[in-house]
Amino acid sequence: MLMRVLVVEDEKKTASFIRKALQAESFAVDVSHDGSEALVLASSTPFDAIVLDIMLPGRDGLSVLKQLRDQQNRTPVLLLSARGQVDERVEGLNAGADDYLPKPFALAELIARVRSLGRRAGEPKSVTLRVGDLALDTVTRQAQRGGKFFELTTREYRLLEFLMRTPGRICGRMAILEKVWDYDFDPGTNLVDVYIKRLREKIDDGFELKLLHTVRGVGYVMKE
Amino acid sequence: MTIRARLTIWYAGILFVSVLLITGLSYHEFLRERSMERVSHGEIDENDTPEDVIQISIFCGIPAAIIALAGGWWLMRKAMTPVAALTEAASRVNESNLNKQLPRTGNGDELDRLTEVFNAMTSRLDTSFNRIREFTLHASHELKTPLTVMHGELETALRDSNLSASSREGLLSQLDEVQRLTKIVDGLSLLTKADAGQIVLKREPVRLDELARDCMDDAQILAGPRQVRVELGRCDEVKLAGDRHRLRQLLLNLTDNAIKYNQPNGTLKLELSRLDKFAELKVSNTGPGIPAEITGRVFERFFRGDASHGNTVDGCGLGLSIAQWIVTAHEGSINITSEPGKWTTVTVRLPLA
Repeated sequence: MLMRVLVVEDEKKTASFIRKALQAESFAVDVSHDGSEALVLASSTPFDAIVLDIMLPGRDGLSVLKQLRDQQNRTPVLLLSARGQVDERVEGLNAGADDYLPKPFALAELIARVRSLGRRAGEPKSVTLRVGDLALDTVTRQAQRGGKFFELTTREYRLLEFLMRTPGRICGRMAILEKVWDYDFDPGTNLVDVYIKRLREKIDDGFELKLLHTVRGVGYVMKE
Repeated sequence: MTIRARLTIWYAGILFVSVLLITGLSYHEFLRERSMERVSHGEIDENDTPEDVIQISIFCGIPAAIIALAGGWWLMRKAMTPVAALTEAASRVNESNLNKQLPRTGNGDELDRLTEVFNAMTSRLDTSFNRIREFTLHASHELKTPLTVMHGELETALRDSNLSASSREGLLSQLDEVQRLTKIVDGLSLLTKADAGQIVLKREPVRLDELARDCMDDAQILAGPRQVRVELGRCDEVKLAGDRHRLRQLLLNLTDNAIKYNQPNGTLKLELSRLDKFAELKVSNTGPGIPAEITGRVFERFFRGDASHGNTVDGCGLGLSIAQWIVTAHEGSINITSEPGKWTTVTVRLPLA
């Protein structure tokens, strides 16, 4: 299914590489450089998701968002902001945003989030997640691969579940910290990397086919 | 010696000399009068001796002197009170309340003038502090857009499957540096906002012991690759009103530091005690230690004790500054003690409820 995304970003270079990256992932992309124009576009065209920068000339992102929600427009919105503080995130989510990404962000992270916005509506959640021959039962919280069961700590389980919910898609380090650790700040440690290493020892060591891959500078991906 | 005591001594000295002078003069006058009387009457009242003058001087002079001294002491106090008040007020001025002006009497006297000058000085200081703060705030904000662009362009370039291994490595290394810069800019912008009072803690009841245990799980994992042993010592139940996210950040910051600066096969120990009015958190490590002369500086931004050692540890150089801010924002205190070759301990005290 082709997803149509509106990117609202006044900084031309940023807008341009977001557009290119999303197009490379076969999204249909419309770009707008100012808030008022974006509002008109969003009201007249049905988009699957909107990437909205907060700092915009004319009408700022938050006011565009509020206006959209007032018009009963429920298009999923990902807010971008250079300020990146908890307050702003809360303010954005309260105004009706579905997700929030502080600048500077990794492109792959942006793509992953936009994709999950489009999917958010519906899509049944399976009880057992599978990637290759690795299976994770989300009820018993047990993982098995090649007939072998693994003991997982709570954190390892949450990490594995998060990665396995989006097989083949890159999970950014910030997204992992948010969803698995509930940190809305970058703790400046290599916590995620060390956990991934432990997880890899459990699920990948001794198997020919590696499932958990590192995307340097961005995050991790589960794929065959 | 205080000005008040000095003035009183001078005053007493002058008083003493004047009393002596008056006594001397009256004695001299008395002798002169008596010799004149002898000339006119030819007789002398034998009861009227020079000693009387001395007696009168002593009986009247001493009480007068005491009253004068006490009066002087009181007068000095009255004169010095505004100075003491001014000193007291000035001592309360620090970088966070430079915009507060000292109260002026407005009567135009010397002290009022001093207050005026002092106020003008602090407001100039305030202006320049604000300028530095705003500059850092704007700088860290302005850096974010180019960093976003660089990150995006690098990622886009890396998508090209025709890249040679060496150009890929070059681009990846640039990406690493962009991320390091991003961390620095993030940390800096957090601290600048904190300085400007733009960050409000979201206080809620928090079980610090639970956060500490939770953090120990992460510490255990982080310490693994460095062969550092992680110990949780005493861990009392501690409830306090704090910002959960910030306190988790504090714990992780401190344990991460204790691991980074530890040596292989070293130990990291965390203790949490509930004391009378505050909770005391101790994070100790068996690292090489910090020389006593620089322990006070480790909370400074970008401070690295030993440049040669600092380079081997990754981090943005803001971890302890951020920890200090979190503790201060919770009205607590943080300090570090180090015995080179033994334990280096960060002690945090947070007020209970």
